[in-house]
This record gives sequence, C-alpha cells and structure tokens, in this order.
Amino acid sequence: MADVRIRPVNELDIEAICRIDERITGTYRPDMWEDRVVYFIRRDPDSSQVAEVDGKVVGFMLGEVRGGEFGMEEPTGWLEFFGVDPSARERGIGRGLTDALLAGFKRRGAHVARTMVRTQDADIARFVAAMGFTPAPVSALEKRLG
Amino acid sequence: MSDQIHMLPKAYHEAVEHWQRHNFPEFPELSKRWQQYFPKDEEFCLCARIEQGMPGEIQVGDKKGQPKAAVPSELDKEAAEQLLMIVRAQASTEFGSIQQHHGTFERANDPHDQTWVLRVMAEELRHGYQMIHLLTSADWSSVTDTKPQDMVEEILSMQTGSHVLAAFNLEYDSFGDSIVFAAFIDRVGKYQLTMQKVNAYAPMAASMPPMLREEAFHLAAGVIPMRRWMEAAASDRNATMDVSTIQKMVAKWYGRGLEMFGDERGGQTNVKLGLKDMANRQAQDLYIEECTKMLDDLNIRFVRARLAHLSREQADSAYERVKAGDTVEAVSRDDLLRLPDRRFFRRRGEPAFQLVGFDGEEFTDVEAYIAHVLKHLPEAYRASIDVKHWIEMQRKVSSGELELKKAISSMPRLARSGGACPCSKSVRWVMDS
Repeated sequence: MADVRIRPVNELDIEAICRIDERITGTYRPDMWEDRVVYFIRRDPDSSQVAEVDGKVVGFMLGEVRGGEFGMEEPTGWLEFFGVDPSARERGIGRGLTDALLAGFKRRGAHVARTMVRTQDADIARFVAAMGFTPAPVSALEKRLG
Repeated sequence: MSDQIHMLPKAYHEAVEHWQRHNFPEFPELSKRWQQYFPKDEEFCLCARIEQGMPGEIQVGDKKGQPKAAVPSELDKEAAEQLLMIVRAQASTEFGSIQQHHGTFERANDPHDQTWVLRVMAEELRHGYQMIHLLTSADWSSVTDTKPQDMVEEILSMQTGSHVLAAFNLEYDSFGDSIVFAAFIDRVGKYQLTMQKVNAYAPMAASMPPMLREEAFHLAAGVIPMRRWMEAAASDRNATMDVSTIQKMVAKWYGRGLEMFGDERGGQTNVKLGLKDMANRQAQDLYIEECTKMLDDLNIRFVRARLAHLSREQADSAYERVKAGDTVEAVSRDDLLRLPDRRFFRRRGEPAFQLVGFDGEEFTDVEAYIAHVLKHLPEAYRASIDVKHWIEMQRKVSSGELELKKAISSMPRLARSGGACPCSKSVRWVMDS
C-alpha cells in the first residue's frame, strides 16, 4: 500500500476536495468549496489538513480554532468538514487527518476540540467516536421556521 | 491563541504609519470593507506576531542540536551578517510589494478581487512591520555600525526601482499583475518563509508561522481570480483576459520568481549556518513543481469550460491528452497556459543571459533571441525601462562587450529620488521623539 502523506491544506487542493465531496454526496459544488476552503486558509491554514497518496489528494479535514461561541470563552478547535475518497478508505486516513488537525488545534492554544454530527449520520458518528470524541455537556436545539 | 503580539516603539510605529499614508493610502478602506468580505475573520492588526512554543534547538547545519540564539550576538559573526541581510531583504520585499500593488489598485475591475488584494497589501504591511520589529528589538551592533533608526530609514525610503530583489522593482502594467504576482511571487515568499521557520535565530524562526498563515491566503488571492479568468476565456470570446494575455504575464513574473531563490548553485552556506533548511536549487525545484501543479489546475478549468459537453472525467482525460501534445476537439497545447523553461529570460543565477527560449530551445543569434523573448512578454511591459535595459545587457553579454558578472549586477536606472519622507512637514520617516 502506498504511503499516506498528511499535510496542511492549500489553495491548489480546492478541486480535489470538490471531487471527493462529489464522490461522497453525488453533488459537484465548486463555488461552495472554494468559499469554504479559502475561509479556512484565511483563518487557520496550519490546522486544516489533506491526505495524499501518490501525490493525489484522497482526504481532507477542515477546522479552526476560535472562542466565544455559545458562551464558551476558551479557545476551541472546531472540526467542521471532512471527507475521505471512498476508494481510499480503511487505510487510517481519517485517523491521520484527525491527529494532524487536533495537533494543529493544540499548537494554537486549544485544549478542547468540538464538532457536531447529525443524528442520522451514523457512520460519521461512529467515526468521530472512534477518534475519541464523546457527547459534550451542551445541547443542540433547533426551531422550524415554517 | 498562541501568537504573542508586539508593538514597535512609538517612533518606529509612527514611521510605518507615516509610510502607509504616503505609499498605501487605500489602507483605511480595508476596515470599511471588512465586514462585507471577511465577516467572521479577526480584525486586521498592525503589529508583530511571534509564535509561541517553537523548537529551542538549532534544527539544521553545523550546530544542529545546540540552543538557538536569542540575540544576534549569540550567533557566529557570519551567521549574524547573513541573517541581517535576509531580514533587510525580506523587509524590502514586504514594503516593495505594497508600492507595486498601489500602482494599479484603483484600476481593478472587480471589487471582490480588489478587496482581497487590499487585505494582501495590509498583511504585507504587517510583515514589513514584523521585520522592523526584528531589526529594532535587538542589538545588531556585533555585525553592523548602522543604527536601528537608520536601518528603518533605509527600508522605508526604498521605492520601486531601488528594492533589493528584481521582482519588486517592476512596475505593474495593470491590476492583472496584482493577481499574477500573488500567484507566482508570493509563492516564492511562502518558500522563503517556510525555509526560515528553522532559523537558528529564535525570534526570526518564531516570526515565520504567523506570516506563513497570512501568505497562504495571498496565494489564494492570486490563484482564485486566475481560475475564473481561465473559465471566462474558455467560454466567452470577448473575455477581458484571454489565455495569451495571462500567458504573457506568467512569462513576465516567473523568471523573476525563480531568481528570488538566489543562484541555483548557492545557498549551502545558509543551510550550514542553520538559517534555512534548503539550498537554492532544491527550493527552486519544489517551486517549479508547485507552479506546474498550479497551471494544471488553471488549464483543467479552461478545458472543462471549453468542452462543457464532456463529463468532468472526460474533460480531465482530454486535458491529459492535450498536455501530451494531442489536439482534442480543436483544443491544443498552444491554447493553454505553459510554464516557460526555467532558463528563459533569466538575468540572474546559473542561466543568466543564456540564449534559451520559452520551450528550452537554444538560440545562436542574439537579435533572434530578443525578438523571441519580446514575443512572449506583455506589450505594456515591453515598453518599460526594465526590458530596454535587459536588451542592452543581453546584446553586450552576447557580443562579449560586457562581463557576465557585471551584467548580472547591473540594474536599470529606475531609482527615484528617495531617502526622505515626501511629506513637507518632515525630512525623515523616523522622527525623534
């Protein structure tokens, strides 16, 4: 099996991230990913990561350190988007990306990382649980707006 | 966050602000546009940012494993001298690029791209501020007689034409140069800053990560608009930027970017002294590889837009065939962007003044070579003193009338009157308190 290289995201990864998302969701969303990736590049390019196999990007994980949300003042690393190409799964790529992302958060002064998972996304819930995330003492609430 | 914030002493801080008012009058516009374009981003701060928790031991070179220097006098004399040169050159590039962007800022036709460039300019100002912090927060008397205030004066007095590196002495022909410059020249900046993250002088190493985080956006501010240009060029026959125009801007900047790494045969001393972790050619090779990847990204956008009836997989495969020399549905290699040969139109380094063409072809007739280079350069740039000077030097070197070494160190007479603030109320940038 080829070596997996984990490295910080850059502007030349946008297209590869779009294609991974397309393979997962079936939707090609170049403008949305351009906005999102550049946002994380502006905010915290050291923390957000991509995984390469043979020079090809096969996974990504985007997040940033921020504080003050929902009254939680301490710097917190937020894991927001990730994806691994279906053809590259079961190689520890998700774990490698998570380790690198969390290390970036720690370097930037965060002592806690948080994320949110929709209850119907069982696979994602299993993945983040396997990465050591446990239920947080906060509740996610919503209200339908008609 | 893990950055430590430092402000310059009042006299230097005011000097930088004074410089900004003369050279970067657009700066106040940034705070007006911030909420619209960067609503969730932390407000811009004109300050020096120092990363915390950096390695305390030298990472490369002869003194690997020994503690990093906290002050210049703890470095060997040679290392301190080299470092001082690097810091001054770095400062010069930061302020120089703002002066270049300023020249065409008002001529931008896209407010989004213009605002991104505005942020880039502000962050370059911060990087310059950071370099001045390095020069003024330590005692450099072990390697220079120049006083800190005079070093700051020297940096703030430079104008386009008197900067340390050639890339910062070229005027922009249009706002398009702002974009291509960010994609190609800021990319060299990324390599230089990355190499200096290991610097044996701890404050220099700790200055790099915060600058690199901002540099990552500068590259995006170059590549993203170029992606859109290429899509528009493929689908709109009246697009304002066509591939040929973009290609000529690439030819204008790429060689200057390569030269920013220094002579291909050098750089080992900096590695030995623990100031950088790569020699010049090694870093330049990686840069070329990355520029190639960038052009693939741009060209794929073009092919997909031109052959919009194909699926993405089919279009990507069509691009691979075109790149290999085939013509696919009337799209050929000549319709796409290409990187010039690394020896093309070079004035510094190993291939300086060699007669090597865009595709690596060799010329024996200097006039044919000059015509070949001119054909690949933007029309407005061809009319510049920079190109005129190159032609004179190229002719003289080729005829044996001028020694190569002299041609390499020769600069066109671009330098404007400098050395003092143009403001009638003062004669120096740094005012005595």
